[in-house]
Amino acid sequence: MRARLPLVIVALASLGATFVLLPVVALFVRAPWNRLAGALSGVGASTALRLSIEVSLAATAISVAVGVPLAWVLARGEFPGRSLLRAAVVLPIVLPPVVGGVGLLVALGRSGVVGRWLHDALGIQLTFTTAGAVVATTFVSMPLVVLATEAGLRGLDLRYERAAAAMGGSAWYVFRRVTLPMVAPQLAAGAVLTWARALGEFGATITFAGNLAGRTQTMPLAVFEARQIDPGGAIVLSLILVVVSVSVLVALGGRLTGLR
Amino acid sequence: MVLEAEIEVRRGDVTVAAAFSAGDRETVGLLGPNGAGKTTIVETIAGLVPAASGRILLDDEPIHDLPPERRPIGIAFQDGVLFPHLSVMENVAFPVRARGARSRAARERAFELLEWLAPGIDPGAKPGTLSGGERQRVALARALAGTPRVLILDEPLSAVDVSARAELRALLRRTLRGFAGPRLLVTHDPVEAMTLADRVVVLESGRITQTGTPDEIRDAPRTRYAADLVGMNLFAGRLTPLEAGAGALETADGVVTVPWPEGRAVGPIDDVLATLAPADVALHAVRPEGSARNVVHGVVDEVAILGDRARVRLNGSPRLVAEITTGSVARMAIRSGGAVWASFKAVEIHLMVERGPTDTL
Repeated sequence: MRARLPLVIVALASLGATFVLLPVVALFVRAPWNRLAGALSGVGASTALRLSIEVSLAATAISVAVGVPLAWVLARGEFPGRSLLRAAVVLPIVLPPVVGGVGLLVALGRSGVVGRWLHDALGIQLTFTTAGAVVATTFVSMPLVVLATEAGLRGLDLRYERAAAAMGGSAWYVFRRVTLPMVAPQLAAGAVLTWARALGEFGATITFAGNLAGRTQTMPLAVFEARQIDPGGAIVLSLILVVVSVSVLVALGGRLTGLR
Repeated sequence: MVLEAEIEVRRGDVTVAAAFSAGDRETVGLLGPNGAGKTTIVETIAGLVPAASGRILLDDEPIHDLPPERRPIGIAFQDGVLFPHLSVMENVAFPVRARGARSRAARERAFELLEWLAPGIDPGAKPGTLSGGERQRVALARALAGTPRVLILDEPLSAVDVSARAELRALLRRTLRGFAGPRLLVTHDPVEAMTLADRVVVLESGRITQTGTPDEIRDAPRTRYAADLVGMNLFAGRLTPLEAGAGALETADGVVTVPWPEGRAVGPIDDVLATLAPADVALHAVRPEGSARNVVHGVVDEVAILGDRARVRLNGSPRLVAEITTGSVARMAIRSGGAVWASFKAVEIHLMVERGPTDTL
């Protein structure tokens, strides 16, 4: 039997749905359909889109590689300052991205605390490079996969890992064969959210990596720039981002993300 | 192979302290009420719970400093604790793979064990689709897969349906007997302990209150708990129909009239177990005339006083233990060496019908 919903709930839900959908619908309404091809080539859509996908995937990969161990330490480690570490990990979610960008600049910029040494000793410069865009994007989006994985680890029944140890599994073997597969659903959901956040990243990237077409100009930056010279082109770029995002979320379905 | 454990473990406010050993090819039953510390003890032996102090020796070699994965112990956990993301076959292969064997060798070992212990179960099934009894069979196979030197079974029947219990008990007995090394069986079920263990360690509130063979504990339980739960009369043998609703259980030392098991066709049944609480046995100075179907005449072997109760061991056909008040002992002048009549009703007898072979390997 289907649940009967109170009218108030239905009305408020409709309001919420309209609010979310309205800008998307408006984008379609106002898109310069008659000069679509021209607008696309004019604003360098394909370059920005490819860069956006590369940067967001790289940021997601790094976030998973570093964030999952971090989640494990937060969930299982017992050491002083653990709650402080968790607060620090969550900070990029709370912080305005532009502040994160400034922080990265004074840390990893050419004359930054660590960046100076990177540049002088190793010849590595992150600002105004694609690598810099990846760094800025990772900084902002990694907390999502850390938090999701940590929640999964906390919800995991410790008996399974204990059993695996009693079956002769070394700590690494147990992590690989038992812990990781058992938190896979939460990890995957977190990774998808991280990727989604990375795809939309703007503030930290433009502050730290700059806005160079072909190197650091991802889709959100391209939209921002097009806004000032070609409002129609900005709409087209925005629509592309909407279509890509929705396609990916629908393709992954509720299976991975829990977003049904 | 001999396992010796002398350990003290703190669990919250409770301290569990136990010293016992298990010999080669000996099944030691750790019997006690829930919360007595049984699981804590075996998990300490397996290295999953740190001991506050003590030592664990295997053939005089200390193993208490080894991490759990390096202790040669196979353990079937309560409720199985099978990995939900792995198939039945992968679960059983896990200990073999974890110890570095190749995938192919591990699979062969797993199939071999599953064929023996869980023939009806699809090796590709996920544990979530199995019944309690099936999960326990897989857990048993997994415990044996890593060719351990010590086998531990933690409450192997607690999550199993009553209907599947008898068959699984028979399988456990075969498996335990077939395992060459010390075996520990954790249970809160006295019948399980009495029928599967060679020696029983009774554990109450974190302390060992008694150690002995099942017969020794049955005949002279030292605590109220042991008397109530372990000190049962146990009859085993072949059941043949006697009359409508009743059967004759032929034990090694006498025949007992019992109710016919519900739902079983009328015909001889092998390997039937029956229990009778000592408090349900009445003693009489002269031959009783009444409704009780079972009347036994015998000589009193021993009178053990436990608080205000006395346990009277009667050497008759069959041998019996009766529990009566100390007042009755005095009134009837019951003493060892004296003759006495005992009676008990068929309906007081609790039957457990085993299926299949029990003692063949």
